[in-house]
Amino acid sequence: MKKGVQFKGLKFLYIVFTIYLILFVIDRENALLALQKVWAILYQLLPIFLLIIIVTALINYFLKPKQIVKHFGKESGAKGVIYALLAGIISHGPMYVWYPTIQELRSHGVKDSLLLIFFYARAIKIPMLPFMIALFGTGYTIVISLYILLFALLQGWFMDTVNQNRASKAEA
Amino acid sequence: MKKQNEPMTAKKAISKATMSILTMMPMLLGVIGLVALMQIYVTPGMLAQLFGHGLVADISTGTVAGAISSGNPAVSYLIADGLLKQGVSLYAVTAFILSWVTLGIVQLPAEASVFGLRFTLYKNILTLISTILVAFFTVLTLKGFAS
Repeated sequence: MKKGVQFKGLKFLYIVFTIYLILFVIDRENALLALQKVWAILYQLLPIFLLIIIVTALINYFLKPKQIVKHFGKESGAKGVIYALLAGIISHGPMYVWYPTIQELRSHGVKDSLLLIFFYARAIKIPMLPFMIALFGTGYTIVISLYILLFALLQGWFMDTVNQNRASKAEA
Repeated sequence: MKKQNEPMTAKKAISKATMSILTMMPMLLGVIGLVALMQIYVTPGMLAQLFGHGLVADISTGTVAGAISSGNPAVSYLIADGLLKQGVSLYAVTAFILSWVTLGIVQLPAEASVFGLRFTLYKNILTLISTILVAFFTVLTLKGFAS
């Protein structure tokens, strides 16, 4: 039987909606300003949602689950790490808009360590680099970017170690 | 029965991708709602008042302030620049910039519901530690080059 849309986070949305209702009673002015912000953020995010749909569709179309596991699964090795770093660096928009895509990949067997690398590498924002250089200098931008990459890798290594220990304990 | 490795048609790939966004829309709307509230209630002036209590306290404050704030990274750079000009240490400012883009308190419930509590805990604890260490080593390295 075909299932309908299984929405995620409905309870969370109800809670936020209730907060807004309460604010409308106690602080109407700011509640209205916040609602205007919601529209502004949604408007800004529309192109990113489109980009994410395209990226996810391309992944679904070109990469079969077996290939995803090969590139980002347990045996992915250095190639998977490099792809995760690059994907993190070039991905746009707030972190939460990427959750559906990441969850989709995770359900196909992408390693948690590569997801951590992706998430931390997102701290490097290529379009923002000129702005960062202008405010804080080239040296600062280079050094912080290199440390971000290093700590993204360290997080991935740590997560891999934890998961491997967990797996060997489960086997024993 | 359809095999898992059978190629997906373009139409099905787009439909599946659209559905994956649609199913998460309530969660995304909730996060956007909270982000908007934070942007209204947490002002740059309020953030600036939190600093000036010593290096360790300022790094911690920078990390927490960045984690509870949200918005375009450019905004965090501008606030950070303002904080630097007010005499806040580069350690704290760096922690602030980093946690702004890597940590998000408002999106924690959504993150846990999508990825599970274990992954969310590991991700955020490791990110928190990394942010403090990156801030520390970045400034230390720059000081090393300068001397």
